[in-house]
This record gives sequence, structure tokens and C-alpha cells, in this order.
Amino acid sequence: MINKDRGCFGERPLPIFEVDSQVLRRRTRRDLLLFGAGAVAGLAGARSLLPQETLARLGMGRSMNSPLKEWLLNGALRVDDDVAETLYSPRRTVPTYTRSQITPLKNNYNGATPDPGYIPGWHLTLDGLASGVRVALDIRSLMTHFSIHEQITRLVCVEGWSAVAWWAGLRFDDLLRAYPPASQAKWVRVESSVNLDSSGNPDPYYVSVDLATARHPQTLLATHLSGRPLTVEHGAPLRLLVPVKLGLKNVKAITKLTYVAQEPRDYWAERGYSYYDGI
Amino acid sequence: MSRATTPCQEATSTSTLSEQPGVLVVRRHHLLVRWSHWLNVPILLGLILSGISIYWSSPIYQHKADPVTGNFDVAADIGIWICAHVPGLHHYNSASDWLYNHMSLGPGMLAVALRLHWLCAYVFMLNGAVYLAGLIAGGGWRGLLPRRTDLFDALRMFRYYIGFPLAKLARRQWPHPSSNTKYNALQRAAYFSIPIAGFLSVATGWAIHKPMQFHSLAAIFGGFDAARVWHFWLMWVFILFVVPHVILVFADGWDTLRGMITGWSARVKRSEITANDQ
Repeated sequence: MINKDRGCFGERPLPIFEVDSQVLRRRTRRDLLLFGAGAVAGLAGARSLLPQETLARLGMGRSMNSPLKEWLLNGALRVDDDVAETLYSPRRTVPTYTRSQITPLKNNYNGATPDPGYIPGWHLTLDGLASGVRVALDIRSLMTHFSIHEQITRLVCVEGWSAVAWWAGLRFDDLLRAYPPASQAKWVRVESSVNLDSSGNPDPYYVSVDLATARHPQTLLATHLSGRPLTVEHGAPLRLLVPVKLGLKNVKAITKLTYVAQEPRDYWAERGYSYYDGI
Repeated sequence: MSRATTPCQEATSTSTLSEQPGVLVVRRHHLLVRWSHWLNVPILLGLILSGISIYWSSPIYQHKADPVTGNFDVAADIGIWICAHVPGLHHYNSASDWLYNHMSLGPGMLAVALRLHWLCAYVFMLNGAVYLAGLIAGGGWRGLLPRRTDLFDALRMFRYYIGFPLAKLARRQWPHPSSNTKYNALQRAAYFSIPIAGFLSVATGWAIHKPMQFHSLAAIFGGFDAARVWHFWLMWVFILFVVPHVILVFADGWDTLRGMITGWSARVKRSEITANDQ
């Protein structure tokens, strides 16, 4: 046998076989039929996974919402959330920036911007505490009893845009130490009762945040943006700043924090988005 | 080498297999390579359709809002232009959405687009692993490694394709450059680049999806916004590959397409037979 020295990477001649022509014809027919059946099944399956709105627009309006379809698609969200939670580390900090790297931050209220009339009488309600008592704190006590930390971090929106902003506020972790939640609590429900829909009607906003993320050193209850107290467009007088999660978790104009043992309802999760939203 | 046929096999019931004519076939694609190749069709379709819907939510290419229409999206501009200039589309009722309606799931569907994109993305990554396993198991990876002569040979192939239509019209001879390897240089360049594009799509995708936990990865691509741009143009690498790929597979004949289904080809060169016999 001629031993061609081609080394490990050299291309070898493709293996040649002699096959009985009947056998070959049978196998070819089998393979082509399997391929054809697989192609039809695959395309039908793929089509059934398309969103209802897309199918309606294409004229295939017949409802294709089966529990299996939702299970499979939402399964992707669950797996992805689990991956995000696995990746989270309390020791890993997000990149910080200098003031020269600050970019404009738009008013991202999904609906109408609330009327600033709620601000003078505003207080933060804490519920689900270990003490069993419900606590109300105003902005003055929050700013005087806790040290204020500054950070310049990126806010990333689920839509794909982001902004670098200069925030100041108290660490959520410090609030948790001063007012500990009940021992079985694993989540905090962060609410804004002043949130509005696009017509200006009340549309309370609420998100779920796991306590591990709330304790992250860069999770702030922010009181200032760009060195000045928050304006109503950015969630005066107190908003959540959690750079390890998507922007939709960064609730503006927080009115209540409730510590709970089970994962609470989440506004955007109820609208088809994921729950954990860790980035 | 043509396949001989024996019309009277049923009549001679005493004939044995060894008397049937044999056909020489050459094995080209491993089973796992074939499976993953075909699965990529619905997977990539799903990724692109959902991906462009996701793009709609915050288009990379924007301009200042038009004072009359409020439009800021370059992709919407393209749709408006197409509807204005293509006969038959003048009365399309949402010109700014035309591109999204024809290349994606549609505008205004971020939540469903995201979850479909992630379903396809995880399957795509799994499929990529299957493909690599098949390339290794079947030894096909060796046929894809670039060689020193490839640049020159690829240009020669390119010149062949460019001149082919003119030669056909002028009825001139336009010989196909010969190669004694599994793929010609242009094929090799394409089939080597696509897995790399796949890998980069996955990497930039994770950089966009986890810009904080993978901030070092995002930094490699120039940051969050730059990673989005990479991810967007890598999609076009796939789109621009698929069109000539499909055309050339069909132009090459049934044996080539069949080869990716059955795994073997009946095009066996005499020189290869004699080499193997020795």
C-alpha cells in the first residue's frame, strides 16, 4: 500500500464502497422518503410555533395556540432564566464609567408620565418585615439615615437600547439590614402605584426581584440622577437601580416594597416576557 | 460509471447477491453532518424572522424623526421606498412595516420574538455541536481546512462563475477548473467560514444577552452597542451565503443534493479507485 505522508491534517481520499444496485436503490428510496416525511413534519412543526399574530397576517388565521406550543416556547424562557440565575454572582460587579461617558437617558415611562402631585406626600411602605410591623419612610429619613452611594453604570433595556447614567442612592442591602425581611422571604415585590397607562389611567406597576440580586453591591434605591434629585420623568423621589437586571426591573417612583416567600407577580412576565431578567 | 440494470432478476430465482451488478459510491457526509445541516434550515429561519422582529424594537440604524411621519427607522424607510416604487405595492396599507412584514414575524411583537429567538438559539447551539461532532467523526473536517493554494484557486473558481453566463450566451467553451479535493477552493472558503460565522453569532448573541455577566466578552466586540452591530451583520453573512449555496447545489446536479440526504455520491473518479486498490 502506498503510504502517502499527509500528516494529521492532510485530506484523505473519500472512502469508496461497492454496493449492490438493488440495495442502493432501496436505501435511497428509504432515505428520500424519510427525508421528505421529516421535511414536511419539520416545516409543519416550525409553522405551528409561529406567533398567532404572524399567522393571522399571513392568512393562516386558524388558532394554533395549543398548551404544548406555549409549554415549549415558555420552556425556552424558563431555561434562559435558569441560565441567568446560574450566571449571577454577588461578587461580580458590572462595568462602571466616568462622567465623560454619560449618555442621554430618555423618559422611558411605558405609559403617560405621572403627575408630580404625588411627590410631596410620598412615602415608601415596607411590608413583610421580620418585625411584623409595616413601616413608612419619607425621602428625608431615607437620605439622612443611610449613606448615599454614587455609581455610573449602564442601563440596558429589553428592547436593545442602553444608556450610561450617573446615579446616587442608598444601597438596597443597607435597607435590608436596617429593616430585615421575614426569615422565609426570598423575594421582594417592588411596586409603583402612581404608574399610568398611555391614556393616563392608573396602571399599577410591580416587578419581582430576588433578594440575592437586591443585596448586590450595585443595587441601589436611587434618589439622584446626574447629581440632581430625580425628576418625575425618571421616577422621583425614589427608583430602583439594579444594573444586573434588564431596565424593566428598574421601577420608577417606588411606593411599596413587600418581602415574600413565593415569587410575586411581575407586570412584564404577565405580558410574555421572562421573570428573572438577569443580564 | 453508469449503473447496469438486469431486467430479469425476478425470473432467475436462483441468482445470488454476488451476481447483481455493484455500484461504486463514495461516502461524503456523515449522518450527524446531514442531520444538523437540514435542521439548520428551520432553525436559521426562526432565528432570522425573530431576530429582525427584535431589531424593530430598537433599530440600530436610525435617524432623526421625520417631522411629518415621525419615522426614524432606516428599515422603515426602505419599506416605504419599495412600496412607492414597485408596481402593485402602491396601495400596501403599512409601507413602513413592509420590510418587517416580509422579513420577520412582524413589528410590535418583542415578547414572542424574544422567546422564539431563545428557543431557536439554544437549539442552534446544540445543533452546532452535533455538526462539529459529525465533522470529526466522519473526518470531514480535513476537507475544510484552508490551504496555501486556496486564495489563487478560489479566484480561479470565481472567474469561472463570472464568465460562465457570458460564455453560455456566446456558446464558448468555458472549462470548469479541476480539483482533486473533496471541495474546490471557493466551496472550502464558504464551508469553513459559515461555522465561524455561526460561532461568532453565538458569541455576540451572548454578549448582547448577558452584557453584565459576560462584560469581558462584550468588550471583545467593542461593547454592548458594537456587539449588536456585529450580530446584525453576521446574520447577513448567512443570508448572503444561502442564496448562492442553494443555486449552486441545484446547478451541480441531483447527485450533489442527494449526497446531503443519503450521505454518498455516485461520482467516483477512476483515479480514486486505483489509489484505494493499492
